[in-house]
Order: sequence, then C-alpha cells, then structure tokens
Amino acid sequence: MNEMLTPLGLSHFLMTGSILFVLGLIGFVTRRNLIVMFLCTEMMFQGVALALVAFAKFHGNVTGQTFVIFVLTIAAAEAALALGLVVMLFRRRGTLDVEAWQTMSG
Amino acid sequence: MTGRNAYPTERRTDSLVTGLEPLQYIPWIAALGAVLCGLLCIRPNLKGWAGWVCVLAIAAGFGLTVNAVLPWATGKTHFNHVGDNHIVQAEVVTASPWIQVGGENVPGENGEIIGYKGGLQVDFGYYFDGLTLTMLLVVCGIGMLIAIYAVGYMRGDPGVARFFAAMALFIFAMTSLVMADNLVLLFLGWEGVGLCSYLLIGYYYGKTTAVDAAKKAFIVNRIGDLGFLVGIFLCYRVFGTLQFADIIPAVQNALDMVATQDLSRGSLDAANKLQSVLNPGNGTSPWLFYAIPFCLMVGAFGKSAQIPLFVWLPDAMAGPTPVSALVHAATMVTAGVYLIARCMPIFVLTHNDALRDGFLSPLYVVAAVGGVTALFAATIALTNNDLKGVFAYSTVSQLGYMFLGLGAISSTAAVFHLVTHAFFKALLFLTAGSVMHALAGTLDIRKMGGMGKHMPLTKWLMLAGCVALAGAPLTAGFFSKDEILAAAMIKGTGAHWGTGEGVFYFILAILGLVTAFLTAFYTFRLWCIVFRGETRYEMGDEHHSEDDSHDDHHAHEPHEMPFWPMNAPLVVLLVGALAVGFLLAPPKKLVGDDLPQVMHSVMHESSAYIPEKYIKTPADFEADDVETNIDTITTGYIVDVSDSHHETHADPHADDAHHGDHHAHPKVLGYDAHGFMMVISSIIALLGIAMAWVFYSGSRSIPTQLAAGFGALTQTLRDKYYIDELYDKAVVQPLNIVSQILFLVDQLVIHATVMGVGLLPGQVGKHQRKTQQGKLQGYGLGMLAGVAAIALLLLYLLNR
Amino acid sequence: MSTPLLLYIASVLGAIALVLMMPRPGNRLAPLGALLGAATLGGCWLAVAFNTGLIHDFSANTLGLPATTFIYFYIFSAIAIAAAVRVITHRRPVYSALWFIMVVLAGAGMFLVLSADFMAFAMIIIYGGAILVTYMFVIMLASQPLEPGQEDQAPAYDRFGRDPLWACVAGFLLLAVLLTVSFDNPDRPTMLANPDAKMASDAEVLRDTLTGRGLDAENSDELASSPQFTADRVSNVERVGLDLFNKHPLAIELAGVILLVSLIGAVVIAKTHIPPGEQHPDPESAAAKAAQTQGGAA
Repeated sequence: MNEMLTPLGLSHFLMTGSILFVLGLIGFVTRRNLIVMFLCTEMMFQGVALALVAFAKFHGNVTGQTFVIFVLTIAAAEAALALGLVVMLFRRRGTLDVEAWQTMSG
Repeated sequence: MTGRNAYPTERRTDSLVTGLEPLQYIPWIAALGAVLCGLLCIRPNLKGWAGWVCVLAIAAGFGLTVNAVLPWATGKTHFNHVGDNHIVQAEVVTASPWIQVGGENVPGENGEIIGYKGGLQVDFGYYFDGLTLTMLLVVCGIGMLIAIYAVGYMRGDPGVARFFAAMALFIFAMTSLVMADNLVLLFLGWEGVGLCSYLLIGYYYGKTTAVDAAKKAFIVNRIGDLGFLVGIFLCYRVFGTLQFADIIPAVQNALDMVATQDLSRGSLDAANKLQSVLNPGNGTSPWLFYAIPFCLMVGAFGKSAQIPLFVWLPDAMAGPTPVSALVHAATMVTAGVYLIARCMPIFVLTHNDALRDGFLSPLYVVAAVGGVTALFAATIALTNNDLKGVFAYSTVSQLGYMFLGLGAISSTAAVFHLVTHAFFKALLFLTAGSVMHALAGTLDIRKMGGMGKHMPLTKWLMLAGCVALAGAPLTAGFFSKDEILAAAMIKGTGAHWGTGEGVFYFILAILGLVTAFLTAFYTFRLWCIVFRGETRYEMGDEHHSEDDSHDDHHAHEPHEMPFWPMNAPLVVLLVGALAVGFLLAPPKKLVGDDLPQVMHSVMHESSAYIPEKYIKTPADFEADDVETNIDTITTGYIVDVSDSHHETHADPHADDAHHGDHHAHPKVLGYDAHGFMMVISSIIALLGIAMAWVFYSGSRSIPTQLAAGFGALTQTLRDKYYIDELYDKAVVQPLNIVSQILFLVDQLVIHATVMGVGLLPGQVGKHQRKTQQGKLQGYGLGMLAGVAAIALLLLYLLNR
Repeated sequence: MSTPLLLYIASVLGAIALVLMMPRPGNRLAPLGALLGAATLGGCWLAVAFNTGLIHDFSANTLGLPATTFIYFYIFSAIAIAAAVRVITHRRPVYSALWFIMVVLAGAGMFLVLSADFMAFAMIIIYGGAILVTYMFVIMLASQPLEPGQEDQAPAYDRFGRDPLWACVAGFLLLAVLLTVSFDNPDRPTMLANPDAKMASDAEVLRDTLTGRGLDAENSDELASSPQFTADRVSNVERVGLDLFNKHPLAIELAGVILLVSLIGAVVIAKTHIPPGEQHPDPESAAAKAAQTQGGAA
C-alpha cells in the first residue's frame, strides 16, 4: 500500500495551509460579527504557521518554527487589543455588527 | 520736467511755474490713504480713524497744489507760451513709465532721451497747465472740506472705514484723471472714478434702491465709456500718439496753419502732416478725425449726465450725502466738462473742418445738448419732492450750462461755472445732509416745513447755497452763469445776428435764460418749503448711532449738527459760494480794473483756451475769394467775439492787469454783452426768487391751483417726462427679451451639449459610487479580489 | 509541466460548496453544500494521496517522512479544513470559537507530523488555552444568550453574511493560484538527503560551541554524515531555543516590546470611560433595530 501512496511532500502542507488561509480570508470578508471576523484572522495565522513549519522541515532549518513563535506573539497581542476594542464598541452601540461602525464613510 | 513736444519751439524760460514736481505724488498719497483706510477695517476700534486718515491724505494733496498754484495764480510765474500764437506749453512730469510698445526714442542734443515717437508710449505722466491746476484745486479743496464733513456725518456707521477707503480711492482716480498727460491714464482715472462712484452709491448695499442705483450708474456710464474708448483708439489711429503733450501742440499748430496760411488747406492736411511726423507711414481718413470729438463727447455726456445719458445721476443720490456732494455734484460729474475742455483744440479743429465741408460741427452738438439738458432737468426739478432729487436734477441742469459754455467755445466760462458750482452745490448737498441727519433720513420735502426754528444755522447756510445756485446778483453762481450766457448770446448776436449759427446760439441763450428763471424758482421753492411756513416734520427711520443719547431718536426734535466738523466746512463753503465768483472774475463795471481777472488769466494759461482768431464761423467760408482775403476775414471777427477779455497779444502776460483797455467789448443790442447779460439774468433770478417766495412762503394755494390747472403737464414733470419708463420700454425690455432668447439658446445648445458630455462620467460615477460604500468588508473584499488578481498575473508572468 | 486541472476543478467545486454552506436565513441547501464539500475534499485527497500522476509528480519535494505518518496528515488535514469551514459558516460565535479550537488541535497534529513538537504544544497552550479562552469571555460578554431552538432569533449580522458569492469567487481564485504555485514550481530547490539530520547537527554544533563542548566536531555536515549520529540527540525544543536566542535576539526584544505595548493598550482600552450619552442603554433593542434595518436593506 505504501508504494501506491504519494510520498508526503511540501505541497501537501502548503495546500492545507493555503486552504486554511483562504477560508479565513473568506470568513473575514463575509462574516459581519466582529468577533468572528477576528477569529477568521486567527485562522489565517494558522494557515501561515502551518506553511512556515513545513518550510522549516523542508529546508532542514528551525527558523520557520521560530517565526511561528512571533506569529503567536502577534496573534496574542492582536487578540488582547482587538477584543478590548470590541467590548468597548459593543458597550457603545449595543451590537457587534461591523456595519454599525461606518461613521467615517463618505 | 521734460517738454515732449514733437515740434521745436521757442520757450520763455523766465519765471516758470515752480512746485509742479511734487504734484505727481498727489494721487499716490490718496491711494496710500485708501490702503490705510482699508487696513483700518480690520480692527473695529480703529475704524473711527479712517476718516481722519482720508482727510489727511486729501489735505496733503491740497497743500501741494496750493504750494504750486499760489505764485502762479497771483501772476508771479507763468507757463511757457510759444511764439506769438498763444500756444501754451504745458509742463509734463513723468512719474514712471508704464506701457511702451514699438517706436523709437528721440535723442536730445546730449544724447539723452528726450522723447519718443512711433509705437505707443503711455506713462504715468502728469500734464500741468491752468486747467489741470484749477481742477486739482477744486478736487482737493472741495474734497477735503467734504471729507471733514463726512467724518462727522459717517460717525458710528459700521462701514465707515470702507466709506473712507472708497473716498480716498476716488481722490486718487479723480486727481489721476485731471492730471493725466495721456488719454490712457485719463481713462484709467475715468474708470476709477466710475468704480468709486459705483462703490459709494451702493454703499448701503442692504438697500435695494442703492444697489440698483449703483448698477444703473455703472451701466449707463459704460455706454459713454465705450464712446470714449473708441475716441481713444481713433486718436491713436490719427495722431499715432496718446500724449497730450504731442497731440495738443500739434493740433494747435494745425489750427494756426489754417488760420494764418491758407483756408483751403483744411485742418486735416495739417493733421496729416502732423501724423507724418508722429506716425509715419499711416495715412488717415477725414472721417476718422471727424469722429474723434463725437466719440469723446459721448463719453463726456455719460460721465456728466447729459441727455440722453443723464438718467443715472438722480438715482445716484441713494449714496451717502457727502458722496452726493463730492462725487455726484462737485467733481466726478464735471469730468466730462474737463475732458471736452482738455480736448478743446481738437473740437475747434474739427469745428473749422466741419464748417468748411458743410458737416455738423461737434461743438453745435455739445451746445445743443447742454442747453436742452439744462432746461429739461430744470423743469423736472420744478415738481420734484425729494430733497436730494431736486439738487440732483439741478446738478444735471448746471452741467448742461457748462456744456453750453463749452459749445459756445468758451471753456473759460464753463470751467468758471464748474468751480463756482462745486462750491455752492457742495454746500447745498451738505446742508441737505444736515437736514436729513436731523430728520433721521427723511427726504420728502412735503413732510418738512418751518425747519428754520430748529436749525437756524443750516437754514442760513442753505439759503446762501440757494442764492448762489439761483444766480442772485454778486453771488458765485451769478458771475459764472453770466459768463456762459454772455458767451452764447455773443455768438448769437452782433455780427452773427440772423445767420444760421447766430440763430442757433441765440435760441440756446434764451433757453439758458429760461433755465435761470426756473432754477431760481425751484431753488427757492425748495428752501421755502423746508425752512418756512408752519413747523412740521416727520422723522425717518435711519438712526445715527454716533451718540448714545440719540437712541430714542424718534422722540427728539430736529437739531443742528452736534459735531463741529460737520459745520466748519459748511462755513468755508458758504464763503466760497458767495464770494468765489467775485474773487475770480470781478466785474469791471463795478470795481474797475484794479482787481485781477484770476479765472481768465488762469484759463488762458491752458490749452482749453482757444484764441478767437482760430475759430471759424460759417461766414468765413461763404466768401467767394476765400483764399485771398484771409486776413480781412479773420481780423474782421476777432474784434467782435466773445469768451475773453484778451485778444491775441504777442505777450499775453503783459496785459493781465490792464486788459480790456484797448479792445472793444462785444456788444449785444448795442450794450456791452456782459453788462447786458448781468442785468437781464439778475432780473430773471430775482423774479424767480420772488415768485417762489410768494408761492411757497405762506399759504401754498397758488401752486396747488396752478398744478391742478396744468394737471397733465404737472404729472409729466412729476414723472420726469417718463424718461425712465421710456428707457425701460426702449432699452431694458428689448434687452430682456434678447437675453431670454440667449438664455434659451444657452440652455438648449450649450447647456445640453455640456451636460450631454457630462452624462457618461456621471452615469459611470453613479454606478461606481456603490463600490465606495464606506463599509469595512466591502473594502476587504476589494483587497481580496485585488490580491487574487495580482497573484494570477504573477503566475501568468512567471510561467510564460 | 502538467496543468493541475484537477485542482482547479476542486477549487470551483469547493467554492460552490462553501457558497451553499454560507449562513443565510432559511438556508436549506447547507447540507447539500456540506456533502459537495466533503466529496470534493475527499476526491482531492484521494487524487493527491494515490500516486495517480493526475496532479503532480511528488518525487522532487518529499519531506523524507516515514510512510506511517501519511495517514495522520490526511486525517488532521481533513479535520482542520472541515473545522475551518464550520468556523466561517456557523451562525453562533460560540460554536465558531469551539470549531476554531478544533482547527488549532488539527494544526498541532500536523505540526507533530512535521516533527515540530514544541510548536505543536505551544500552539495548543497559547491558542487553545489562552487566546480562545479570551475569545470565549468576550463572546459571553458581548452577545445576548440565545434560547435553544431559536437560532433564527440570532442577530441579523450572524444570520447572513455579506456578499458570500463574490468573496468565495475571489477567495477560491486566490486559492487556485496558491495551489498551482505550491504543487508546481520548477524553481524550487531540491530536497536535502536528510533534512532532519542536518537540522539536528546544526543545532548540536551550535550547542556544543556555546557550551564549550564538542570541539572535536569541525562542522555540522561531518557530524551529520557520521554513522553514530542520530537526529534524536538534540530535542526540538532545544533546537528552536538555540535558533531563537542566537539568531533572532532583536526580534525577541521587539516581540517583548509589542507584548508590553499591547498589554498597556489593553489596560487603557479597558479603562476608557464611555460618556453616558454614548453608552448604549439597551443592547438588545439596538440589536433588534439593527436587525430590522438590515432586514429592510436585504
């Protein structure tokens, strides 16, 4: 059976990472709930992180994994600030609808 | 000082007029004053100073003028006279070059540039002769007095700084106008005073009448200005230059040639010769030259409110009263008189030509328009019930007198009347302003009566003005009006009696006498109604906020001017209105020859004065053997002609003090012309005054009955001959129709085309607008699509 | 170079499936979309897994992983993708967050397949433990609880998405491009013979240099090719740590600063006083109003 299977390659992981990234992107654009939108950005981070780790494996180099740490850092910082903002906005308008916040629109 | 005469001339160099150089700063001092007044607008607490800044600027100009004029007017210094032809060589001061196109410089003996010929040169150059200095004295002197009055009159008005900025700007433009040494600078001043007039008439821009009046004045003046502009173009075409210093001596030389050499050689030949010097290579058509005075005349009629362009002046009274006094009575409206006086040699040259060739002389047109306007405006003033309106029509009427004087080729008389009129009309307007001030804006004389009890000073001041305007004996208006009437009468009687020209001028003189009667009548009608009879008045609704105590103005009685600057200038004007005529032209019959005839000697030092030998009459051209009898013909009339107590002397200065001794006075019906006219006009003026006194002093039943008796006539007069209605029907409504048609064309053709072109982007934008919905996720989607597109493009490029 | 036609077909089908599954009121086609998506993913995986040659010859860029790990990759990958789809399609944020935990767990599994042990556990601890808990708190704070069986009473902004069609078209266009590149890049460098060993030996040389040991080893390549060497001699944590603190000291500091700043920022935001006039008194009525306006707009 093993001979029938394709050897696992970089492309497999990139494919999965790409799908996660694109799904996150689509979610970000379509969902109107502020919290879900931020969740979708986290999912885009997931796809990127997967690609980074796969590259690290492929190149025999841990720098890719190291970068995932920074991705995590940014994700954590973003979560802290963004969620704080979301709570504040919710207290002002009583809704999580992103379209409630378009006073700057022309 | 550079004499820029293209003709070599001999010059007297002794005792020339001094102090002319500083006069070039007068307009610029006024302009600086205007800027300062404008700057004072910025701080409300500084606005009050604007008036004094303006007064100071004008007073500086007046001081400079007096400094130059005093030694000259008293006969100590003189302008150059060239040869024995009594051609005055004016002094030209060039402040700075302005426009210079083509042409070449004329080098002097030492290689320095002394002149310029060919091409076009226009400088900020100032042309000084007797006429200029007289006008400067009037503009600055009267302007200063009125500005002082205005300081009090405008006190507390919110726009006071704007008012005085426009006043100072007006002085800038008016002095530029009278000092200009070329037609372009004159036109600059001409338009400048028009602009200031517009600004000042529309000073109360909140009032519709004021705004409409300002627009009316501006638009009617445009018609005249178009004529003036065409005249300037023609002047350049014919003479190849616009400098008075070139044109006037050349025209005077041409006059001289015509007079002394050969009558068959018309002035056009002379003009052509002149042009071959100034503007080589350009021939000229006789018609171009002939058209020049007519074009200039149209400009003068517009600015000086003569028929048919007089309609703007009565409406212009919507401006503040000091403006009416200065701009619309004393100075600006006399610019037309000044223009024709300044160009008098051209008029006379054309006059001679026209007589020779059987055309209409421009001077006849000027005289006829002046005479008819004088009578016409006086009849309207008879029934007018507006305090300032009467004076406005009176101004039109008096300007008509001046044009009559010009038309009788007596610019001395015209300018003399201009000077005296400036005094007494300024006085009348300012006292009218005092009455208006006291009654809080009431102008309808039917609502006034017996004001003398409340305003004794104003009563007497206005009486002095009225006496002068009515031409009561020995007042200023008496002498100057007499000069004009005498000039016209002399041209209509004596040797001229019975000729076509003689009848023409005789009729005009009679018109002038009738006008004098009407003037005396309507002037005293006004004064009696306002100051005599039972006391009654209605307060207007204009509050003068200069005094806090006047808050409850309605409850107050009319009062004299509380502020000294408003009365002080009036006293000076009073003295002027009564005495200036006597001072400038003392009647020899009364005082003998001891006193100098200042007005005459002053005007003889200007190009506006045309010696009699240069002026042709139709009789000159009726002689069969014209060519052989020149001397006989010319000298035959020299003796018997008007305008001056001087004849052509080799040295005209020598006999200033004892002129009149050795030449015959013109005769009318066997009497001395001036003496005759003085007696006649005295009788007429006193008659008019007496009649008005009888009619309006006590019970006013006679005029009421009279008005009822002549109902239609009275109504016509009250409605000002329906001129405004006529213009509305003849000019305004057709214009409206044309503009409606043009509006339709504009809508259907231009608007449709433009909007059709704009339709495509408009529609594209309408749909594109939806993409710019200002929503976060819409932009996110756009970014996503963009990233996808770029990735696709990169993929395509990499795999190619 | 063969055109990965199959991937394009799969992208189109996936896009259709996702559009069908997107939340909208009264969506009865969602199960159909789920089926279509599952079928697409399954077919795609089969085509990739079995060496059919339909997509690509993978011999050039294998990762040298043991064959037994293949099955784990496919399982985790399928779970991750399915969970991700649920994250973006579920109407209730709480469930979205829970499904996101599933994505994180599946991703951690794939990290293990890639022998990135430390990253896998860090991901679970930080994402699943810290960040997602914060999300859950916020969701609880900011959402109105829904009665069971009344999902349609959820706020309008959760009940239907915004332009799902165009988003899916654009997104899957991008996906197709990404897949094309990841499966077919002739310029990609060839695989090392033993990348694990190289990685480990790099780390060992570095560690020995830092600790003063192992002066005997001249270079890592020699060490990696020596028969006694096994990759297990240096753990993954040790490798990451050595790399992190030796090669990226500045980045570490910057990350620290970023975390500090966000900490302060979060405190400031939390303490921001909302003026009474701007504070919404009744979030529910506002949400209802928003729902009405949205319904009117839709």
